[in-house]
Amino acid sequence: MRIPYWNISYGILIDTVALVAVIVFVFGLHGHWKRIRLGKVRIRSANVDHPGKIGPVFVYSLLKNGILGAKLYKKIFTGIAHGFLFWGMLVLALGTSLVVLNLLFGLPVFEGIFNRWFMSFFLDLAGLLALFGLLFFLVRRWFPPERLITPRERTGFGVQIGLLAAVIVTGFLVEAIRIASTGPDPFSFVGNFMAGWLPADALSVHRIFWWSHGLLCMAFIAYIPYSPMMHMVLVPTNTALADPRPGSKMGVIDFSSFDNDDDEEGAAEEMPTLGCSSLADFTRKRLLDFAACLWCGRCHEVCPAAITKKPLSPKGVMVTLAERLAAGEVEDATLIDDITEDAIFACTTCTACLEACPACINQPKTILKFRQNLVMEQSRIPELMAKAINSLEQRAHPFFGTGSGPKDWCKDLEVPLFATGETEYLLWIGCSVTYEERAQKIARAMVRILESAGVSYGILEESRCTGDPAKQMGNEFMFTELAQTNIDEFNELGVKKIITLCPHCYNSFDRHYPLLGGNYEVIPHSVFINRLISNDKLVLKNSLERICYHDPCYLGRRNLFFDEPREVIRKVGQLVEMPRSGAESFCCGGGGGNYWAEEVGDRINQVRSKEALDTGADRIATACPFCLLMLTDGAKKFTEEQKTFDIAELVAERLT
Amino acid sequence: MHITVLAKVVPDYEVPTADFELTDGRAHSRYTRMIGLYDENAIETGVQLKEAYGATLTIISYGKTQDVTVLRKAIAMGGDALHLVLGDADDPFVIAANLKMAIEQLGNVDLVLAGQQSADMDRGVVHSILAGMLDYPFLPQISTIKSEDGRWMVAQAHENGIRRLEFSGKGVLSITSSPKNVPRIPAVRSILAAKKKPVEKIDGIPGTPMPVAELSVEIPKMESVCEFLPLDDMAQTCKILLSKLREERYL
Ligand code: SF4
Ligand code: SF4
Repeated sequence: MRIPYWNISYGILIDTVALVAVIVFVFGLHGHWKRIRLGKVRIRSANVDHPGKIGPVFVYSLLKNGILGAKLYKKIFTGIAHGFLFWGMLVLALGTSLVVLNLLFGLPVFEGIFNRWFMSFFLDLAGLLALFGLLFFLVRRWFPPERLITPRERTGFGVQIGLLAAVIVTGFLVEAIRIASTGPDPFSFVGNFMAGWLPADALSVHRIFWWSHGLLCMAFIAYIPYSPMMHMVLVPTNTALADPRPGSKMGVIDFSSFDNDDDEEGAAEEMPTLGCSSLADFTRKRLLDFAACLWCGRCHEVCPAAITKKPLSPKGVMVTLAERLAAGEVEDATLIDDITEDAIFACTTCTACLEACPACINQPKTILKFRQNLVMEQSRIPELMAKAINSLEQRAHPFFGTGSGPKDWCKDLEVPLFATGETEYLLWIGCSVTYEERAQKIARAMVRILESAGVSYGILEESRCTGDPAKQMGNEFMFTELAQTNIDEFNELGVKKIITLCPHCYNSFDRHYPLLGGNYEVIPHSVFINRLISNDKLVLKNSLERICYHDPCYLGRRNLFFDEPREVIRKVGQLVEMPRSGAESFCCGGGGGNYWAEEVGDRINQVRSKEALDTGADRIATACPFCLLMLTDGAKKFTEEQKTFDIAELVAERLT
Repeated sequence: MHITVLAKVVPDYEVPTADFELTDGRAHSRYTRMIGLYDENAIETGVQLKEAYGATLTIISYGKTQDVTVLRKAIAMGGDALHLVLGDADDPFVIAANLKMAIEQLGNVDLVLAGQQSADMDRGVVHSILAGMLDYPFLPQISTIKSEDGRWMVAQAHENGIRRLEFSGKGVLSITSSPKNVPRIPAVRSILAAKKKPVEKIDGIPGTPMPVAELSVEIPKMESVCEFLPLDDMAQTCKILLSKLREERYL
């Protein structure tokens, strides 16, 4: 049986040092909390019902992302190395705790099978794997991938990597010397192996290594809150409190309380700052986001704006905020200008960054909060977006300069109006389909499909936007006004079910309208078509045509409709996938109001069109009018042929 | 320094030609009403002058009571007060006379700015008539304005370039659009505050109309004819296209 503190006098002293280490650790932790507490409200997790949510903690997300680090494994080598290090150190920490329990309470851990397998074999294995993990990260610091050094690299890992390596190596040496002196321990395979290489007088340095091991270990623990290793605490906390529903979850602002009709001038002055211009304007949850950022650059690597050389890097935004927070500069309103207006408006709100982030940080929400401040407080917005907003205010649609009238899309068609108490579904046309000539064909195709399936549907007399473009451009006020007008009309008409042609409309109706009092059953057209096919309401001719499907961000990543559009495509042709598809899909470039942007750098729609055309597919299908318009335009660089179609067009074509 | 901007509420100036129709010789009432396109540039220019020189900015309009909701945007953009002369005349002389009355009531106006033309039939003559009535110099198509040592330095934008002018004293300036005067999106607290600002409503005067009678107003009917050109040889197709466009006097 092994003897704890073998060959060590006053070993218990290490526990006193441990107490000091814990005090220093807690002091550092409190420093982080003090900074995060400078945010606007108490940390509280999103007020949503979610399976497995206990109090404010999203337990499933905590386990999956915070403890298991599931997203880390999307980069398999990094994931494995991190797994080795994290689980290795955890097992070693557990082993050490068991030793302490053995000393204090006589817990029989050094006996029998448990001693052989856990205290000997597993602890050696854990130490070895942790060393491998450390080695990987050390080498990667020497040869860092682009994402780690763009726009800048995190420093401060060296001390902690060195400390950890020293802790593990001294631990093995202590074990090897003990084995060399007391006889082989067949299950401690690393200790046994090393014992064979030790000089005969190794016992003389056993105590030195033992104390070094213990003190280095305590130094490591005490130093955690003052080093990047603090992510061990911050990331799990962030994953536990982050709303795991997809999308950026912007919520809505209730302006009615600032807009009362009393005659007192200055009632509007009580309105809080709209959006954020300094760290102090953010909530504590957002400040936790910034503090938890790993600087890993996974968000940068998938960001369509960063990839196409625009001035935005989501990692850049996060690390700037993290640095300012660490420096305690929470009131500094020069923050927006440091990040730059161009960067803030370059975001397409595609949420690829959020999807990739192992720490569950909501980058687009932060960017949109800056946007809200620029637009609603400072009247700062790029010229084309300003024109779109102006048009929204004047005409209830953002398509300034359109050559189409509101009824052009249904010229020569008999489309019924929604009749209260008679019509089942409202077919919501949306602004892009109404005012963009190419997109009008989506509505015409959908009318054919609905007629063919005998669906009870109707449209509104007047067309209007949902307000989504205003929201994405940061003008929450205009979104609320448009949404309220729509909700009033829907409620007056008795609308209960809505079919949308645009995922942006779907997202608004489904996510934001309920918060303003508009509750409807909303169905994206691709999902509705799939339902009609499954219910044998549509009979289609299949073909051998190879069709490549582009996931619209607001349908796929933001609302998790990945399978339904694909099932529809399988009914009319042969589905082809792009390298980036599903949750990893690449944006068309039109989101976040960037449909109205003068693009700098490469054009996102051309990058995506090329990726689609490179699959060799005969046609590119999508299920969003903005994607259709962007990809139609993008493909023009590579082919004269009209290759991009909406899913409804493909189905209408193949109706028998 | 006191600056006034003349702003007019007009029917949507972007209604596509194919969708445009008249009732009683004027744009159909179903079109959304909004501040004239260039008038918004003029308001933006006025707001910038206010910000640069601490001027007072008054918005003056001639129209109906229901225009107030639309005109509040001018206040939200940065105007200090809104004066609406009530009337529905369409005659430029009558409108100018009413605007003159409102400006004279203010008493101390230094500059009068207005969009270079409004959107309803684009006559663009009211400001020049107004300048004549006020006996102020009139400078059309101004894109930028600065005040230096008590003098106004202005840039006049032409199709072929920019002409710089200076003058002192009062003046009526028609404003054209430029990248420098893109109308701002008003801040939300300004929109909410603008709703509460009182509006000065002034009864209009009959004025003396121009001795001209409008006989009719017509808009061209949209016709679309489609012709396919052969595409065997791209260069040849381009030549045919060019000659056809010339024949039809599009070029
Ligand atoms: S939402 Fe999309 S565009 Fe915006 S920062 Fe994230 S990845 Fe980039
Ligand atoms: S925001 Fe997330 S993905 Fe981006 S650098 Fe930070 S931790 Fe990595």
